[in-house]
Amino acid sequence: MAAAAATAAAKGNGGGGGRAGAGDASGTRKKKGPGPLATAYLVIYNVVMTAGWLVIAVGLVRAYLAKGSYHSLYYSIEKPLKFFQTGALLEVGIVPSSVVLTSFQVMSRVFLIWAVTHSVKEVQTEDSVLLFVIAWTITEIIRYSFYTFSLLNHLPYLIKWARYTLFIVLYPMGVSGELLTIYAALPFVRQAGLYSISLPNKYNFSFDYYAFLILIMISYIPLFPQLYFHMIHQRRKVLSHTEEHKKFE
Amino acid sequence: GKHVEILDAKTREKLCFLDKVEPHATIAEIKNLFTKTHPQWYPARQSLRLDPKGKSLKDEDVLQKLPVGTTATLYFRDLGAQISWVTVFLTEYAGPLFIYLLFYFRVPFIYGHKYDFTSSRHTVVHLACICHSFHYVKRLLETLFVHRFSHGTMPLRNIFKNCTYYWGFAAWMAYYINHPLYTPPTYGAQQVKLALAIFVICQLGNFSIHMALRDLRPAGSKTRKIPYPTKNPFTWLFLLVSCPNYTYEVGSWIGFAIMTQCLPVALFSLVGFTQMTIWAKGKHRSYLKEFRDYPPLRMPIIPFLL
Repeated sequence: MAAAAATAAAKGNGGGGGRAGAGDASGTRKKKGPGPLATAYLVIYNVVMTAGWLVIAVGLVRAYLAKGSYHSLYYSIEKPLKFFQTGALLEVGIVPSSVVLTSFQVMSRVFLIWAVTHSVKEVQTEDSVLLFVIAWTITEIIRYSFYTFSLLNHLPYLIKWARYTLFIVLYPMGVSGELLTIYAALPFVRQAGLYSISLPNKYNFSFDYYAFLILIMISYIPLFPQLYFHMIHQRRKVLSHTEEHKKFE
Repeated sequence: GKHVEILDAKTREKLCFLDKVEPHATIAEIKNLFTKTHPQWYPARQSLRLDPKGKSLKDEDVLQKLPVGTTATLYFRDLGAQISWVTVFLTEYAGPLFIYLLFYFRVPFIYGHKYDFTSSRHTVVHLACICHSFHYVKRLLETLFVHRFSHGTMPLRNIFKNCTYYWGFAAWMAYYINHPLYTPPTYGAQQVKLALAIFVICQLGNFSIHMALRDLRPAGSKTRKIPYPTKNPFTWLFLLVSCPNYTYEVGSWIGFAIMTQCLPVALFSLVGFTQMTIWAKGKHRSYLKEFRDYPPLRMPIIPFLL
Protein backbone atom coordinates (compact mmCIF):
# COMPACT_ATOMS: atom_id res chain seq x y z
CA MET A 1 0.00 0.00 0.00
CA ALA A 2 2.84 2.29 0.81
CA ALA A 3 4.20 1.17 -2.53
CA ALA A 4 1.05 1.76 -4.51
CA ALA A 5 0.04 5.01 -2.98
CA ALA A 6 3.34 6.42 -4.23
CA THR A 7 2.28 5.97 -7.79
CA ALA A 8 -1.33 6.78 -7.12
CA ALA A 9 -0.37 10.08 -5.57
CA ALA A 10 1.18 11.16 -8.83
CA LYS A 11 -2.11 10.89 -10.68
CA GLY A 12 -0.75 10.11 -14.07
CA ASN A 13 1.87 12.80 -14.42
CA GLY A 14 4.78 14.17 -12.46
CA GLY A 15 3.49 13.98 -8.92
CA GLY A 16 6.15 13.50 -6.28
CA GLY A 17 8.95 15.18 -8.09
CA GLY A 18 7.26 18.22 -9.49
CA ARG A 19 5.07 18.70 -12.50
CA ALA A 20 6.36 18.92 -16.04
CA GLY A 21 4.68 20.14 -19.17
CA ALA A 22 5.64 17.50 -21.67
CA GLY A 23 5.66 13.78 -21.68
CA ASP A 24 2.54 13.26 -19.66
CA ALA A 25 -0.95 12.19 -20.46
CA SER A 26 -2.88 15.21 -19.39
CA GLY A 27 -3.06 16.83 -22.80
CA THR A 28 -1.07 18.51 -25.52
CA ARG A 29 -1.26 21.86 -23.74
CA LYS A 30 2.00 22.65 -21.92
CA LYS A 31 1.15 23.35 -18.28
CA LYS A 32 2.70 26.35 -16.60
CA GLY A 33 5.49 24.61 -14.69
CA PRO A 34 7.35 25.83 -11.61
CA GLY A 35 9.79 28.74 -11.99
CA PRO A 36 13.46 28.10 -12.87
CA LEU A 37 14.69 28.13 -9.27
CA ALA A 38 11.95 25.78 -8.12
CA THR A 39 12.57 23.53 -11.10
CA ALA A 40 16.26 23.37 -10.26
CA TYR A 41 15.44 22.43 -6.68
CA LEU A 42 13.00 19.75 -7.80
CA VAL A 43 15.43 18.29 -10.33
CA ILE A 44 18.16 18.12 -7.71
CA TYR A 45 15.76 16.53 -5.23
CA ASN A 46 14.64 13.89 -7.70
CA VAL A 47 18.18 13.14 -8.87
CA VAL A 48 19.36 12.74 -5.28
CA MET A 49 16.44 10.43 -4.49
CA THR A 50 17.05 8.36 -7.62
CA ALA A 51 20.69 8.05 -6.64
CA GLY A 52 19.77 7.14 -3.09
CA TRP A 53 17.52 4.30 -4.09
CA LEU A 54 20.16 3.12 -6.59
CA VAL A 55 22.62 2.96 -3.70
CA ILE A 56 20.12 0.76 -1.85
CA ALA A 57 19.67 -1.45 -4.91
CA VAL A 58 23.41 -1.82 -5.40
CA GLY A 59 23.85 -2.44 -1.68
CA LEU A 60 21.36 -5.30 -1.83
CA VAL A 61 23.02 -6.90 -4.84
CA ARG A 62 26.52 -6.66 -3.38
CA ALA A 63 25.42 -8.05 -0.04
CA TYR A 64 23.65 -10.92 -1.78
CA LEU A 65 26.76 -11.74 -3.79
CA ALA A 66 28.99 -11.49 -0.74
CA LYS A 67 26.79 -13.57 1.55
CA GLY A 68 25.61 -16.05 -1.04
CA SER A 69 22.08 -15.94 0.37
CA TYR A 70 19.15 -13.55 0.34
CA HIS A 71 18.44 -13.80 4.07
CA SER A 72 19.03 -10.88 6.43
CA LEU A 73 20.06 -8.45 3.71
CA TYR A 74 18.21 -5.71 5.62
CA TYR A 75 21.30 -4.88 7.68
CA SER A 76 23.37 -4.07 4.62
CA ILE A 77 21.03 -1.27 3.50
CA GLU A 78 19.41 -0.29 6.79
CA LYS A 79 20.92 3.18 7.00
CA PRO A 80 20.35 4.45 3.44
CA LEU A 81 16.86 2.92 3.49
CA LYS A 82 15.97 4.86 6.62
CA PHE A 83 17.58 8.02 5.31
CA PHE A 84 16.03 8.13 1.87
CA GLN A 85 12.59 6.87 2.82
CA THR A 86 12.35 9.32 5.70
CA GLY A 87 13.67 12.04 3.42
CA ALA A 88 10.58 11.57 1.28
CA LEU A 89 8.74 13.57 3.94
CA LEU A 90 10.10 16.59 2.09
CA GLU A 91 7.84 15.70 -0.83
CA VAL A 92 4.70 16.50 1.10
CA GLY A 93 3.68 20.04 0.23
CA ILE A 94 6.05 20.61 -2.69
CA VAL A 95 4.05 18.09 -4.63
CA PRO A 96 1.31 19.54 -6.85
CA SER A 97 -0.88 16.50 -6.32
CA SER A 98 -3.10 15.75 -3.36
CA VAL A 99 -1.37 16.53 -0.07
CA VAL A 100 -3.60 13.97 1.60
CA LEU A 101 -2.59 11.11 -0.67
CA THR A 102 1.10 12.02 -0.60
CA SER A 103 1.31 12.36 3.15
CA PHE A 104 -0.64 9.15 3.58
CA GLN A 105 1.83 7.29 1.41
CA VAL A 106 4.94 8.73 3.01
CA MET A 107 3.57 8.27 6.52
CA SER A 108 2.74 4.63 5.92
CA ARG A 109 6.23 3.96 4.54
CA VAL A 110 7.89 5.78 7.43
CA PHE A 111 5.63 3.87 9.83
CA LEU A 112 6.75 0.54 8.41
CA ILE A 113 10.42 1.47 8.52
CA TRP A 114 10.51 2.94 12.01
CA ALA A 115 7.52 1.74 13.98
CA VAL A 116 7.67 -1.85 12.79
CA THR A 117 10.99 -2.92 11.28
CA HIS A 118 13.26 -0.70 13.37
CA SER A 119 11.28 -1.09 16.59
CA VAL A 120 10.82 -4.84 16.52
CA LYS A 121 14.35 -6.12 16.05
CA GLU A 122 13.20 -9.72 15.72
CA VAL A 123 11.56 -9.09 12.33
CA GLN A 124 14.69 -7.62 10.77
CA THR A 125 15.80 -11.09 9.73
CA GLU A 126 12.46 -11.93 8.13
CA ASP A 127 12.38 -12.51 4.39
CA SER A 128 9.21 -10.41 4.17
CA VAL A 129 11.34 -7.34 4.82
CA LEU A 130 13.37 -8.10 1.71
CA LEU A 131 10.14 -8.45 -0.23
CA PHE A 132 8.94 -4.92 0.44
CA VAL A 133 12.41 -3.39 0.28
CA ILE A 134 12.91 -4.74 -3.23
CA ALA A 135 9.43 -3.61 -4.29
CA TRP A 136 9.97 -0.12 -2.90
CA THR A 137 13.51 0.14 -4.34
CA ILE A 138 12.50 -0.68 -7.90
CA THR A 139 9.38 1.47 -7.68
CA GLU A 140 11.23 4.48 -6.33
CA ILE A 141 14.13 4.32 -8.77
CA ILE A 142 11.65 4.38 -11.64
CA ARG A 143 9.40 6.97 -10.00
CA TYR A 144 12.12 9.49 -9.21
CA SER A 145 13.77 9.14 -12.60
CA PHE A 146 10.33 9.59 -14.17
CA TYR A 147 10.00 12.90 -12.34
CA THR A 148 13.55 13.95 -13.18
CA PHE A 149 13.07 13.35 -16.88
CA SER A 150 9.63 14.94 -16.86
CA LEU A 151 11.01 18.10 -15.31
CA LEU A 152 13.70 18.21 -17.98
CA ASN A 153 11.01 17.73 -20.64
CA HIS A 154 12.67 14.63 -21.97
CA LEU A 155 10.80 11.58 -20.75
CA PRO A 156 11.82 8.31 -22.43
CA TYR A 157 8.80 6.18 -23.18
CA LEU A 158 10.50 3.23 -21.48
CA ILE A 159 10.47 5.00 -18.12
CA LYS A 160 6.86 6.02 -18.52
CA TRP A 161 5.95 2.48 -19.50
CA ALA A 162 7.89 1.04 -16.58
CA ARG A 163 6.21 3.39 -14.11
CA TYR A 164 2.76 2.46 -15.25
CA THR A 165 3.33 -1.25 -15.80
CA LEU A 166 5.71 -2.68 -13.23
CA PHE A 167 3.41 -1.67 -10.40
CA ILE A 168 1.15 -4.52 -11.47
CA VAL A 169 3.66 -6.90 -9.91
CA LEU A 170 5.52 -4.61 -7.54
CA TYR A 171 2.46 -3.36 -5.73
CA PRO A 172 1.13 -6.76 -4.59
CA MET A 173 4.70 -7.74 -3.83
CA GLY A 174 5.23 -4.72 -1.61
CA VAL A 175 1.88 -5.15 0.12
CA SER A 176 2.62 -8.81 0.82
CA GLY A 177 6.00 -7.92 2.29
CA GLU A 178 4.47 -5.21 4.44
CA LEU A 179 1.63 -7.37 5.77
CA LEU A 180 3.87 -10.35 6.47
CA THR A 181 6.30 -8.13 8.34
CA ILE A 182 3.62 -6.58 10.50
CA TYR A 183 2.20 -10.04 11.16
CA ALA A 184 5.64 -11.32 12.14
CA ALA A 185 6.05 -8.44 14.57
CA LEU A 186 2.80 -9.12 16.42
CA PRO A 187 3.93 -11.73 18.99
CA PHE A 188 6.95 -9.64 19.96
CA VAL A 189 4.82 -6.55 20.38
CA ARG A 190 2.42 -8.46 22.60
CA GLN A 191 5.21 -9.95 24.66
CA ALA A 192 7.08 -6.69 25.26
CA GLY A 193 3.99 -4.52 25.54
CA LEU A 194 5.68 -2.31 22.95
CA TYR A 195 4.35 1.27 22.68
CA SER A 196 1.43 0.28 24.83
CA ILE A 197 0.02 1.88 27.94
CA SER A 198 -2.57 0.33 30.20
CA LEU A 199 -4.91 1.47 32.95
CA PRO A 200 -4.76 2.74 35.60
CA ASN A 201 -2.69 5.86 34.93
CA LYS A 202 -3.19 9.50 35.77
CA TYR A 203 -4.21 10.55 32.24
CA ASN A 204 -6.91 7.90 32.01
CA PHE A 205 -5.80 6.70 28.65
CA SER A 206 -4.80 3.37 27.20
CA PHE A 207 -3.26 2.24 23.95
CA ASP A 208 -2.73 -1.28 22.72
CA TYR A 209 -0.15 -1.27 19.95
CA TYR A 210 -0.88 -4.92 19.17
CA ALA A 211 -4.55 -4.14 18.48
CA PHE A 212 -3.47 -1.05 16.56
CA LEU A 213 -1.25 -3.11 14.25
CA ILE A 214 -4.11 -5.51 13.62
CA LEU A 215 -6.32 -2.56 12.69
CA ILE A 216 -3.63 -1.36 10.30
CA MET A 217 -3.52 -4.77 8.65
CA ILE A 218 -7.30 -4.80 8.31
CA SER A 219 -7.22 -1.34 6.73
CA TYR A 220 -5.27 -2.77 3.82
CA ILE A 221 -8.41 -4.66 2.78
CA PRO A 222 -10.45 -1.65 1.68
CA LEU A 223 -7.48 0.54 0.74
CA PHE A 224 -5.31 -1.79 -1.37
CA PRO A 225 -7.91 -2.59 -4.08
CA GLN A 226 -8.87 1.07 -4.40
CA LEU A 227 -5.30 2.22 -4.94
CA TYR A 228 -4.52 -0.72 -7.23
CA PHE A 229 -7.49 -0.16 -9.51
CA HIS A 230 -6.85 3.55 -9.55
CA MET A 231 -3.38 2.79 -10.93
CA ILE A 232 -4.80 0.39 -13.51
CA HIS A 233 -7.17 3.12 -14.61
CA GLN A 234 -4.32 5.63 -14.76
CA ARG A 235 -2.31 3.16 -16.82
CA ARG A 236 -5.03 2.88 -19.42
CA LYS A 237 -5.32 6.65 -19.64
CA VAL A 238 -1.60 7.41 -19.76
CA LEU A 239 -0.38 4.68 -22.05
CA SER A 240 -3.22 4.90 -24.58
CA HIS A 241 -2.88 8.69 -24.68
CA THR A 242 0.79 8.40 -25.47
CA GLU A 243 -0.03 6.09 -28.36
CA GLU A 244 -2.19 8.85 -29.83
CA HIS A 245 0.50 11.44 -29.25
CA LYS A 246 3.06 9.32 -31.03
CA LYS A 247 0.93 9.46 -34.15
CA PHE A 248 1.39 13.20 -34.32
CA GLU A 249 5.09 13.32 -33.54
CA GLY B 1 -44.38 36.24 -19.04
CA LYS B 2 -40.87 34.83 -19.47
CA HIS B 3 -39.67 31.46 -20.67
CA VAL B 4 -37.28 29.38 -18.68
CA GLU B 5 -35.26 26.50 -20.06
CA ILE B 6 -33.29 24.29 -17.72
CA LEU B 7 -30.24 22.46 -19.04
CA ASP B 8 -28.02 19.89 -17.37
CA ALA B 9 -24.81 21.71 -16.37
CA LYS B 10 -22.58 18.80 -17.39
CA THR B 11 -24.23 17.37 -20.50
CA ARG B 12 -26.11 20.52 -21.64
CA GLU B 13 -29.09 18.25 -22.20
CA LYS B 14 -32.39 20.10 -22.20
CA LEU B 15 -34.19 18.90 -19.10
CA CYS B 16 -37.16 21.17 -18.89
CA PHE B 17 -38.85 24.07 -20.64
CA LEU B 18 -41.18 26.29 -18.66
CA ASP B 19 -43.21 28.78 -20.63
CA LYS B 20 -45.22 31.70 -19.28
CA VAL B 21 -43.27 32.10 -16.06
CA GLU B 22 -44.12 35.24 -14.12
CA PRO B 23 -41.23 37.75 -14.34
CA HIS B 24 -41.31 38.27 -10.60
CA ALA B 25 -41.15 34.55 -9.88
CA THR B 26 -38.36 33.52 -7.54
CA ILE B 27 -35.80 30.78 -8.08
CA ALA B 28 -37.57 28.85 -5.31
CA GLU B 29 -40.77 28.87 -7.37
CA ILE B 30 -38.91 27.78 -10.49
CA LYS B 31 -37.38 24.92 -8.50
CA ASN B 32 -40.86 23.82 -7.50
CA LEU B 33 -41.97 23.87 -11.14
CA PHE B 34 -38.91 21.85 -12.12
CA THR B 35 -39.68 19.24 -9.46
CA LYS B 36 -43.06 18.68 -11.11
CA THR B 37 -41.38 17.36 -14.25
CA HIS B 38 -38.55 15.61 -12.39
CA PRO B 39 -39.96 14.52 -9.02
CA GLN B 40 -36.74 12.76 -7.98
CA TRP B 41 -35.01 16.14 -7.84
CA TYR B 42 -36.79 17.87 -4.99
CA PRO B 43 -35.95 21.58 -4.61
CA ALA B 44 -33.36 21.08 -1.85
CA ARG B 45 -31.11 19.07 -4.12
CA GLN B 46 -31.32 21.47 -7.07
CA SER B 47 -28.55 23.88 -7.81
CA LEU B 48 -29.58 26.31 -10.55
CA ARG B 49 -27.11 28.72 -12.07
CA LEU B 50 -26.74 31.11 -14.95
CA ASP B 51 -23.38 29.65 -15.91
CA PRO B 52 -22.64 25.91 -15.84
CA LYS B 53 -19.55 26.55 -13.75
CA GLY B 54 -20.87 29.55 -11.87
CA LYS B 55 -22.30 30.08 -8.43
CA SER B 56 -25.68 28.75 -7.42
CA LEU B 57 -28.56 31.16 -7.61
CA LYS B 58 -30.32 31.89 -4.35
CA ASP B 59 -33.90 30.86 -3.70
CA GLU B 60 -34.87 34.47 -3.11
CA ASP B 61 -33.46 35.73 -6.43
CA VAL B 62 -36.16 37.09 -8.72
CA LEU B 63 -36.29 36.03 -12.37
CA GLN B 64 -36.63 39.47 -13.90
CA LYS B 65 -33.69 40.82 -11.89
CA LEU B 66 -31.36 38.27 -13.49
CA PRO B 67 -29.26 39.19 -16.54
CA VAL B 68 -31.34 37.13 -18.99
CA GLY B 69 -33.45 37.75 -22.07
CA THR B 70 -37.06 36.69 -22.65
CA THR B 71 -35.90 33.11 -22.36
CA ALA B 72 -33.79 32.45 -19.33
CA THR B 73 -31.33 29.58 -19.63
CA LEU B 74 -30.55 28.01 -16.30
CA TYR B 75 -28.07 25.21 -15.68
CA PHE B 76 -28.94 22.45 -13.24
CA ARG B 77 -26.66 20.47 -10.99
CA ASP B 78 -27.82 17.68 -8.70
CA LEU B 79 -26.50 18.28 -5.20
CA GLY B 80 -27.23 14.71 -4.22
CA ALA B 81 -29.55 13.43 -1.55
CA GLN B 82 -30.16 16.08 1.08
CA ILE B 83 -31.02 15.92 4.72
CA SER B 84 -32.25 18.74 6.90
CA TRP B 85 -29.85 20.43 9.29
CA VAL B 86 -32.27 19.90 12.14
CA THR B 87 -32.33 16.14 11.54
CA VAL B 88 -28.55 15.97 11.39
CA PHE B 89 -28.09 17.98 14.58
CA LEU B 90 -30.67 15.99 16.52
CA THR B 91 -29.13 12.69 15.47
CA GLU B 92 -25.53 13.67 16.06
CA TYR B 93 -26.33 15.08 19.54
CA ALA B 94 -28.74 12.41 20.74
CA GLY B 95 -26.05 9.78 20.14
CA PRO B 96 -23.45 11.06 22.62
CA LEU B 97 -26.13 11.68 25.23
CA PHE B 98 -27.31 8.09 25.05
CA ILE B 99 -23.91 6.46 24.50
CA TYR B 100 -22.23 8.15 27.44
CA LEU B 101 -24.98 6.88 29.72
CA LEU B 102 -24.39 3.31 28.53
CA PHE B 103 -20.84 3.58 29.87
CA TYR B 104 -21.87 5.49 32.99
CA PHE B 105 -24.30 2.76 34.02
CA ARG B 106 -21.71 0.14 33.07
CA VAL B 107 -24.04 -1.75 30.85
CA PRO B 108 -22.84 -5.39 30.31
CA PHE B 109 -20.12 -6.30 27.77
CA ILE B 110 -18.19 -3.05 28.15
CA TYR B 111 -16.18 -3.66 31.28
CA GLY B 112 -15.63 -7.01 33.02
CA HIS B 113 -18.81 -8.82 34.13
CA LYS B 114 -18.11 -8.21 37.79
CA TYR B 115 -18.61 -4.47 37.11
CA ASP B 116 -21.99 -4.75 35.36
CA PHE B 117 -24.37 -2.04 36.57
CA THR B 118 -21.99 -0.98 39.33
CA SER B 119 -21.42 2.64 40.21
CA SER B 120 -18.17 4.60 40.49
CA ARG B 121 -17.04 5.64 43.95
CA HIS B 122 -15.57 8.91 42.64
CA THR B 123 -17.73 12.03 42.90
CA VAL B 124 -16.09 13.53 39.83
CA VAL B 125 -17.36 10.65 37.68
CA HIS B 126 -20.96 11.46 38.61
CA LEU B 127 -20.33 15.15 38.10
CA ALA B 128 -18.82 14.47 34.69
CA CYS B 129 -21.91 12.52 33.66
CA ILE B 130 -24.14 15.41 34.69
CA CYS B 131 -22.00 17.92 32.78
CA HIS B 132 -21.73 15.83 29.63
CA SER B 133 -25.44 15.06 29.60
CA PHE B 134 -26.35 18.67 30.33
CA HIS B 135 -24.16 19.77 27.44
CA TYR B 136 -25.92 17.56 24.92
CA VAL B 137 -29.43 18.20 26.27
CA LYS B 138 -28.67 21.90 25.89
CA ARG B 139 -27.55 21.33 22.30
CA LEU B 140 -30.71 19.36 21.48
CA LEU B 141 -32.97 22.04 22.94
CA GLU B 142 -31.08 24.79 21.14
CA THR B 143 -31.50 22.90 17.87
CA LEU B 144 -35.24 22.66 18.42
CA PHE B 145 -35.94 26.10 19.87
CA VAL B 146 -33.08 28.51 19.43
CA HIS B 147 -31.09 28.19 16.23
CA ARG B 148 -32.23 29.81 12.99
CA PHE B 149 -30.56 27.99 10.13
CA SER B 150 -29.60 29.80 6.91
CA HIS B 151 -29.60 26.59 4.95
CA GLY B 152 -32.39 24.06 5.16
CA THR B 153 -30.37 21.03 4.13
CA MET B 154 -26.93 19.52 3.77
CA PRO B 155 -25.69 16.52 1.75
CA LEU B 156 -26.79 13.18 3.15
CA ARG B 157 -23.26 11.79 3.52
CA ASN B 158 -22.58 14.44 6.18
CA ILE B 159 -24.77 12.67 8.68
CA PHE B 160 -22.57 9.57 8.54
CA LYS B 161 -19.39 11.61 8.82
CA ASN B 162 -20.71 13.76 11.68
CA CYS B 163 -22.24 10.92 13.66
CA THR B 164 -19.07 8.86 13.42
CA TYR B 165 -17.15 11.82 14.85
CA TYR B 166 -19.52 12.70 17.70
CA TRP B 167 -20.58 9.20 18.62
CA GLY B 168 -17.07 7.79 18.28
CA PHE B 169 -15.47 10.37 20.54
CA ALA B 170 -18.31 10.17 23.05
CA ALA B 171 -17.82 6.41 23.36
CA TRP B 172 -14.06 6.78 23.57
CA MET B 173 -14.04 9.33 26.40
CA ALA B 174 -16.98 7.77 28.23
CA TYR B 175 -15.11 4.45 28.28
CA TYR B 176 -12.24 5.90 30.28
CA ILE B 177 -14.11 8.26 32.56
CA ASN B 178 -16.49 5.51 33.68
CA HIS B 179 -13.86 2.79 33.79
CA PRO B 180 -13.48 0.89 37.08
CA LEU B 181 -9.77 1.79 36.98
CA TYR B 182 -10.41 5.51 36.45
CA THR B 183 -7.94 7.77 38.30
CA PRO B 184 -9.44 11.01 39.67
CA PRO B 185 -7.66 14.36 39.04
CA THR B 186 -4.23 14.86 40.62
CA TYR B 187 -5.19 18.04 42.50
CA GLY B 188 -8.43 16.61 43.78
CA ALA B 189 -11.49 18.68 44.67
CA GLN B 190 -9.71 21.99 43.96
CA GLN B 191 -9.09 20.95 40.36
CA VAL B 192 -12.64 19.69 39.94
CA LYS B 193 -14.15 22.90 41.35
CA LEU B 194 -12.08 25.12 39.11
CA ALA B 195 -12.87 23.00 36.08
CA LEU B 196 -16.58 23.01 36.91
CA ALA B 197 -16.55 26.79 37.16
CA ILE B 198 -14.92 27.07 33.75
CA PHE B 199 -17.42 24.62 32.30
CA VAL B 200 -20.50 26.36 33.74
CA ILE B 201 -19.34 29.83 32.74
CA CYS B 202 -18.63 28.67 29.20
CA GLN B 203 -21.95 26.87 28.90
CA LEU B 204 -23.78 30.02 29.98
CA GLY B 205 -21.61 32.06 27.63
CA ASN B 206 -22.26 29.75 24.70
CA PHE B 207 -26.01 29.86 25.35
CA SER B 208 -25.98 33.66 25.63
CA ILE B 209 -24.28 33.94 22.27
CA HIS B 210 -26.79 31.58 20.67
CA MET B 211 -29.63 33.70 22.00
CA ALA B 212 -27.98 36.91 20.83
CA LEU B 213 -27.48 35.47 17.34
CA ARG B 214 -31.09 34.32 17.25
CA ASP B 215 -32.30 37.80 18.10
CA LEU B 216 -30.29 39.23 15.23
CA ARG B 217 -32.47 37.42 12.76
CA PRO B 218 -36.29 37.54 12.62
CA ALA B 219 -38.10 34.18 12.32
CA GLY B 220 -38.13 32.76 8.80
CA SER B 221 -35.67 35.31 7.45
CA LYS B 222 -32.13 34.78 6.24
CA THR B 223 -30.82 38.27 6.92
CA ARG B 224 -27.27 38.72 8.10
CA LYS B 225 -26.16 41.50 10.46
CA ILE B 226 -23.05 42.27 12.43
CA PRO B 227 -23.48 40.86 15.95
CA TYR B 228 -22.84 43.29 18.80
CA PRO B 229 -22.61 42.93 22.60
CA THR B 230 -25.93 43.16 24.42
CA LYS B 231 -26.71 43.87 28.07
CA ASN B 232 -25.73 40.28 28.88
CA PRO B 233 -22.08 40.37 30.02
CA PHE B 234 -21.39 37.04 28.36
CA THR B 235 -21.98 38.68 24.99
CA TRP B 236 -19.29 41.29 25.61
CA LEU B 237 -16.87 38.77 24.09
CA PHE B 238 -18.27 40.01 20.74
CA LEU B 239 -16.00 43.03 21.23
CA LEU B 240 -12.99 40.78 20.76
CA VAL B 241 -14.08 37.86 18.58
CA SER B 242 -16.41 37.17 15.68
CA CYS B 243 -17.51 33.75 16.90
CA PRO B 244 -17.64 33.81 20.71
CA ASN B 245 -19.95 30.80 20.62
CA TYR B 246 -16.99 28.75 19.43
CA THR B 247 -14.69 30.38 21.96
CA TYR B 248 -17.04 29.36 24.77
CA GLU B 249 -17.45 25.90 23.31
CA VAL B 250 -13.70 25.28 23.35
CA GLY B 251 -13.64 26.66 26.89
CA SER B 252 -16.34 24.21 27.99
CA TRP B 253 -14.40 21.25 26.69
CA ILE B 254 -11.15 22.47 28.23
CA GLY B 255 -13.04 22.68 31.50
CA PHE B 256 -14.35 19.16 31.04
CA ALA B 257 -10.83 17.91 30.22
CA ILE B 258 -9.41 19.46 33.38
CA MET B 259 -12.30 18.09 35.40
CA THR B 260 -11.86 14.52 34.21
CA GLN B 261 -8.07 14.66 33.60
CA CYS B 262 -8.67 12.35 30.68
CA LEU B 263 -6.43 12.48 27.60
CA PRO B 264 -9.15 11.49 25.08
CA VAL B 265 -11.18 14.47 26.27
CA ALA B 266 -8.19 16.73 25.67
CA LEU B 267 -7.77 15.25 22.18
CA PHE B 268 -11.46 15.77 21.44
CA SER B 269 -11.12 19.39 22.56
CA LEU B 270 -8.12 19.83 20.29
CA VAL B 271 -9.85 18.38 17.25
CA GLY B 272 -12.96 20.41 17.95
CA PHE B 273 -10.88 23.53 18.39
CA THR B 274 -9.17 22.95 15.04
CA GLN B 275 -12.49 22.52 13.25
CA MET B 276 -14.10 25.49 14.95
CA THR B 277 -11.11 27.67 14.13
CA ILE B 278 -11.57 26.83 10.46
CA TRP B 279 -15.27 27.72 10.68
CA ALA B 280 -14.57 30.89 12.66
CA LYS B 281 -11.98 32.07 10.15
CA GLY B 282 -14.46 31.46 7.34
CA LYS B 283 -17.23 33.31 9.12
CA HIS B 284 -14.86 36.15 10.00
CA ARG B 285 -13.84 36.46 6.37
CA SER B 286 -17.47 36.61 5.19
CA TYR B 287 -18.25 39.27 7.75
CA LEU B 288 -15.29 41.34 6.53
CA LYS B 289 -16.35 40.90 2.93
CA GLU B 290 -19.98 41.75 3.52
CA PHE B 291 -19.65 44.63 5.96
CA ARG B 292 -17.34 47.59 5.25
CA ASP B 293 -17.67 48.84 8.81
CA TYR B 294 -16.80 45.58 10.53
CA PRO B 295 -15.03 46.22 13.87
CA PRO B 296 -11.30 45.91 13.21
CA LEU B 297 -10.33 44.79 16.71
CA ARG B 298 -12.13 41.47 16.36
CA MET B 299 -10.31 38.19 15.76
CA PRO B 300 -12.11 35.06 14.56
CA ILE B 301 -12.05 32.87 17.70
CA ILE B 302 -9.34 33.72 20.25
CA PRO B 303 -9.08 37.36 21.40
CA PHE B 304 -6.01 39.07 19.92
CA LEU B 305 -4.51 35.80 18.74
CA LEU B 306 -6.43 33.69 16.28
